[in-house]
Amino acid sequence: MSETRRRTNRGPLENPEAQRNGVAGHSGDTGDEDEDAPRAAGSSGMTEEDDDDPAERRQLRHQYRELINSVQQNREDILSPTNNKLTEVLEEANRLFVNVRQTREAALDAQFLVLATDLGKEKANQLHADGSAFDPSAYAEHLLSFMGLNRLEEAEDSDEEGASSGYLPQDAWRKLAKRAENCFRTTPSFHFMLGSFLAEPPPPRQRVERQRRAPVKEAKRIMPTQLKKMEESHQEATEKEVERILGYLQSYHTDDPTSPISYYEFVTDPTSFSRTVENIFHVSFLIRDGMAKIYQDRDKLPCIGTKDMSSPVPEGEAEGSSSRQQCVISISPRSWKEIIEVFGIKEPMISAPNSATFAGSQ
Amino acid sequence: MSQKRRLAGTQSSQSRVFMPNEVVMEEDEDVSFTQPSSSQLQRGLDRLTPAQVDRKVAEVVQFILIKDQKKVPIKRADIVKNVIKEYKNIYPEIIKRANMKFEKVFGFQLVEVDPKNHAYILVNKLEQNPRQPAVMSPGHPKTGLLFVILSVIFMKGGVVKEPVVWNTLKKLRVDQGEKHEEFGDVKKLVTEEFVRQRYLEYTRIPHTEPLEHEFRWGVRAEKEVDKMKMLEFVSQVHDQEPQTWTKQYKEAMAAKGGSSRS
Repeated sequence: MSETRRRTNRGPLENPEAQRNGVAGHSGDTGDEDEDAPRAAGSSGMTEEDDDDPAERRQLRHQYRELINSVQQNREDILSPTNNKLTEVLEEANRLFVNVRQTREAALDAQFLVLATDLGKEKANQLHADGSAFDPSAYAEHLLSFMGLNRLEEAEDSDEEGASSGYLPQDAWRKLAKRAENCFRTTPSFHFMLGSFLAEPPPPRQRVERQRRAPVKEAKRIMPTQLKKMEESHQEATEKEVERILGYLQSYHTDDPTSPISYYEFVTDPTSFSRTVENIFHVSFLIRDGMAKIYQDRDKLPCIGTKDMSSPVPEGEAEGSSSRQQCVISISPRSWKEIIEVFGIKEPMISAPNSATFAGSQ
Repeated sequence: MSQKRRLAGTQSSQSRVFMPNEVVMEEDEDVSFTQPSSSQLQRGLDRLTPAQVDRKVAEVVQFILIKDQKKVPIKRADIVKNVIKEYKNIYPEIIKRANMKFEKVFGFQLVEVDPKNHAYILVNKLEQNPRQPAVMSPGHPKTGLLFVILSVIFMKGGVVKEPVVWNTLKKLRVDQGEKHEEFGDVKKLVTEEFVRQRYLEYTRIPHTEPLEHEFRWGVRAEKEVDKMKMLEFVSQVHDQEPQTWTKQYKEAMAAKGGSSRS
């Protein structure tokens, strides 16, 4: 019965604590049975049931971990030659071990033992130093004095506990270095008189990126200005053309104020269909801006006239001013030819832009 | 027969002698650098003019001097790759002559510190005159820090656990967790830079939970640091005679004897 229980209880042994420390796991395994028997003498009197109280075992493990932790924390103190704390913690562990029943707790005990042994070894090492023992803390104090620590003056941030207070001058480390240098047979490294370059070439990757980025930026900068110019010139051209046509309209009107000017005759250019379309387009601006008006004559044909003149057709004007009407004019090459034939147009009333000066003198 | 003629042809055109077994060697060299035999070496030297060899030696000397600025061991592979190049068949001769130059001209010694990976460091052979330092530059504070760590390790018998070093430095107002105004990231400087320069060895202690590390002297420290002078300085700040540290004094004496013999 007891044997099988032990078998099943080997499971917990494979827990991390035991695994991490091979030595602890091993000694815990055997120490449980024979080696540490005298220490665990009390166990023989216990009944089997008492062996396995989970709460008690947890408590025991907790105490062991606390102990191990405190030893690790106070390592330096324990190592100090005048300190007897190592004996104390060993006694504490002995007291705990009386209650150990299972391998898992024994493993913790072994882990502690490893730690204690390690500390013992270091204490022994200190003894070996025949002659003066070296104490790093005292050494540090001496070094501070050498580095020019002013113990009378308070440092600005002397809130550290334990560290000796005082003001450490700026060049403290430099001073120490200067003195320490003659212990080193370091080769003086040479430097170039006009500065140095890095021994290793810098990675060329950056340069490639920079080159790639620059043209993109420039192209972006050019594009908008080009577009802007085009738009401007186009608008200007349209405006000029509209004004030029208005000039034609006004000059025809002053030439003969009484006769209405036929819209079709005015816009149609018998020599060019595209010029006709352009004229229609430009005239539409005049209408929109109220510089000209379109009305129907007696034959229901559209006529064009300037706005500011006294209109010979009052009813059309009344209509136009009360409600602005829009319409879409469509023209095709066929209807353009028809218009030329029907109206008998021989010459354009609006001459092409490049002959504007000639037309203006008309 | 035809092979013989072909070999003869290469000999005349490139002035290179190929022996059948050497062809195999050449293939090996591409994978890993193999030490040429003395006969190969001699043949290699015969093929070059003394001026060519001298020039190569000068290049190697310059390369090592520049590389030495960082105090990181210089790898043989780097020397071969960047300077020696096609002269690698006479590599040992070039290094031998470069070392001679270092000793005769500069008072340095080229020391191979890593026989496995073949890395070199430069060590100053000249005795430092404390009243007339060879280096006019003001002491570099890092040297002071390094000295403290090395001296603690030396006085503690050659190896110390990491906390000993940090506790000592903390008393000197250098905290591993804080940025120091002169050393910056102290932890990095000590556990990385000094280790890379081979002044320190920083190793994990086996079977420790949580992880613990210990410091030892690195190869460069062993070659560069004068233990007796170090002990003298430590004794000076303690206001003691160096002889009172019996063990350390013995070690320093032994090191002194060893270096003067070499």
